[in-house]
Amino acid sequence: MSKIRVVHYINQFFANIGGEEKADFPAELRVGEVVGPGMAFKASFKDEAEIIATIVCGDSYFNENLDKAKADILAMVKEQNPDVFIAGPAFNAGRYGVACGTIADAVQQELGIPAVTGMYKENPGADMFKDKVYTVATKNSAAGMRDAVAKMAPLALKLAKKEEIGVSSEEGYMPNGIRKNFFENERGSKRAINMLLAKLAGKEFTTEYPMPDFDRVDPMPAVKDLAHATIALVTSGGIVPKGNPDHIESSSASRYGEYDITGVMDLTEDTYETAHGGYDPVYANEDADRVLPVDVLRDLEKEGKIGKLHHLFYTTTGNGTAVASSKAFAEEFSKKLIADGVDAVILTST
Amino acid sequence: MDDYIIITNNPMVVEEFGTEKEIEFYDVDYENILVKVRDKIYKGHELLSHPLSGSVKPGETPYKSIMVSKRVGSLEEKYVKLIESSIQTVGKFSFKPTINDQKTLKDLQVVDRTLLNSAIASADA
Amino acid sequence: MKLEMGHIFIKDIVFSDTSKIEDGVLYVSKAELEKIVLSDEKLKEVSFDVAKPGESVRITPVKDVIEPRVKVEGEGGIFPGVIAKVGTVGSGKTYALKGMAVVTAGKIVGFQEGIIDMTGPGAEYTPFSKLNNLVMVCEPIEDIKPHQYEKAVRLAGFRVATYLGELSKSLTPDETKVYETQTIMEGKEKYPDLPRVAYVQMLQSQGLLHDTYVYGVDAKQTLSTIMNPTEVMDGAIVSGNCVSACDKNTTYHHLNNPVIHDMLEEHGKTLNFVCQILTNENVYLADKERSSDWTAKMCEMLDLDGVIVSQEGFGNPDTDLIMNCKKIEAKGVKTVIITDEYAGRDGKSQSLADADAAADAVVTGGNANQVIILPKLDKVIGTLDYVTKIAGASDETLREDGSLEVELQVITGATNETGFNKLSAR
Repeated sequence: MSKIRVVHYINQFFANIGGEEKADFPAELRVGEVVGPGMAFKASFKDEAEIIATIVCGDSYFNENLDKAKADILAMVKEQNPDVFIAGPAFNAGRYGVACGTIADAVQQELGIPAVTGMYKENPGADMFKDKVYTVATKNSAAGMRDAVAKMAPLALKLAKKEEIGVSSEEGYMPNGIRKNFFENERGSKRAINMLLAKLAGKEFTTEYPMPDFDRVDPMPAVKDLAHATIALVTSGGIVPKGNPDHIESSSASRYGEYDITGVMDLTEDTYETAHGGYDPVYANEDADRVLPVDVLRDLEKEGKIGKLHHLFYTTTGNGTAVASSKAFAEEFSKKLIADGVDAVILTST
Repeated sequence: MDDYIIITNNPMVVEEFGTEKEIEFYDVDYENILVKVRDKIYKGHELLSHPLSGSVKPGETPYKSIMVSKRVGSLEEKYVKLIESSIQTVGKFSFKPTINDQKTLKDLQVVDRTLLNSAIASADA
Repeated sequence: MKLEMGHIFIKDIVFSDTSKIEDGVLYVSKAELEKIVLSDEKLKEVSFDVAKPGESVRITPVKDVIEPRVKVEGEGGIFPGVIAKVGTVGSGKTYALKGMAVVTAGKIVGFQEGIIDMTGPGAEYTPFSKLNNLVMVCEPIEDIKPHQYEKAVRLAGFRVATYLGELSKSLTPDETKVYETQTIMEGKEKYPDLPRVAYVQMLQSQGLLHDTYVYGVDAKQTLSTIMNPTEVMDGAIVSGNCVSACDKNTTYHHLNNPVIHDMLEEHGKTLNFVCQILTNENVYLADKERSSDWTAKMCEMLDLDGVIVSQEGFGNPDTDLIMNCKKIEAKGVKTVIITDEYAGRDGKSQSLADADAAADAVVTGGNANQVIILPKLDKVIGTLDYVTKIAGASDETLREDGSLEVELQVITGATNETGFNKLSAR
């Protein structure tokens, strides 16, 4: 049987080119070469697989020339046509971790070649990519190389052979949000007792089902200088220009609107209305300021209480809209608000 | 008169309590009964019985009866959380068999009504 | 309190003219059993069959699974308040027929569920595939109401199990286990340095087909209460639950409650097992608040250091589970919860209908939505007529080659939430 073909991606540091000063090293394909951590993989693969090429790329280069670097590396991988792609391990190196996740994800998505990476759980790349690429949890420094390779190598071989991948706790990858059944060595009651004894003794234990992340948002510190602050209005009350030009749904909204209120001093019955289907719209339609208080903020602007009212407002209908959608909307327009220099937002509901 | 309203799509509940209790009957599916209840909760009604009562999974039974308070107070977060997560849970059960034999439908009505009865027993106690 | 459990291993079940146990073989007279079952006028007909491990047999729809037992010494009798008179059990000597069970089956309602496969992939998921099962399929009289039928079948199963248990009364057990627990003060003095631990068991109590009985009392009408851990071994808790096959507790689970047995193993070694706390899973939200308040209050009054909370069922009980966990943790009592998951067929959905950060120690019995193909088996005890209407099945369930495409949730006991199985998920 022919050997499994592996392409390995590492950064400039692990390729022994240099540290931060060499981080602008552009992507380079080294056919037939096994470099740095590749040696450990080679040892682990024995005769079952071989690294047919190593791709080296500087972390700054990758992150600063994302599109080009990605395209170049994808072309290199495509040309080599491996059975599996390994990136890293990146340990606690943030930009390296993000590069590993990004390129591994791209290789899977665009070339259909399975990929595996590895990094420390607090590496920003972990949160970004653990749900997309099998990401082995490693120690936070290169001292954990042996341990990392011991998990990544077998996982890579399994992926190459298209074997079924076991559960995260057995294979060593970070939980990826997909619940998978398997048989434990002990029955549940015994596991519960062991867990309780550990918890009672203050020892470490691992829950079998981590509770979903609770989205508790701590309030931001108060705005110190309101008189010079730019304030924006955002609402889930569905206020839109008359006629609802973007057709925001009356419930379970799939989009939000961004509207310019430059020069608008007051929302009137003829100019604005609500798209919201979850409350009686009569009073909102009569005077949309009741939901989106443009008039009052213009007053405050005039009085010098606030610096100015931002010229754009963002709106959607909160009625039955999925939390995930709301979050996605906010993530998008928050960036615009920050870019526009907005200091604070008044969020109105219904 | 009781201080609760029954939101239901189960005709057997109407038959049994039609005149004795305040019932809002809607000819909608399981999930939409939960949506009706959600709308009530947003208006400030209290949720009195669990939206996912019964082990007959959503999608296997078309029937659902839920009890809310008649009194309208202020919106309570815990009820919002419970009804919203229940609606999400219903969404997980994508496989929905079509049940058209009358005997099974009757049985499902009976079970829903019995689950409601156990809430009524507590509410009236 | 001290209970001596005598185990009598049953390696085979054979139909015969007279009922007896000889050399580990249970001989049963169908005629005698029939008389016992049909003593209830609500039941018209009963048929018996035996299903052994490894046979190409599928039992469905399963209602309850019961291990026959008999009280040999001590107060009370098996299934107090149900079969025996009310009287505190859990001490003295009890014999159990191990390696076998009485399985009641019958279509109580049109969508009832529960599959036990004795061989194949399905058998791996149900603990009952490893037992010699005496199956009884009960047919009711005409025009019976579902709740009357449920009760008739439930009680018939207990009568038969009691009758079979009695057959072992004069035998010598193959194995004996002694379970001893202390009163609160005794335990404190005997094990001053061990953590004080209790088992909080949540009982299904939502209404018809979702009920549990404690000494004959419907659990939904109870306040949270405490029991000695050995009481369940004499049948203090029985199942009236027909729905949610994978995560309902059959009477067999109650009799052999794994948390209780494993905690008793550790009792006096790594922990001090103080007591069992029972609480319910009603549909009325105020009942939930009250029951969980009481559970937490008892944990505090008993000066507990830790508890394990087990759940029964899906959806509605998730709320009780989280309430119990949150309130008990708030009392400073360390909590581990046992549940199962409905994470969708792809495993990507939120597993529970409720959640809280206090639930940081969870044991799971697996994802009940996982799809499994059950091959066609040679023999069906019961009926497959309803298989497309059971939880986790659909119109596409019955495939052309006779195999069934179903979710794990149709299999009796597959994702049990008392921690009976090794199945888990990550």
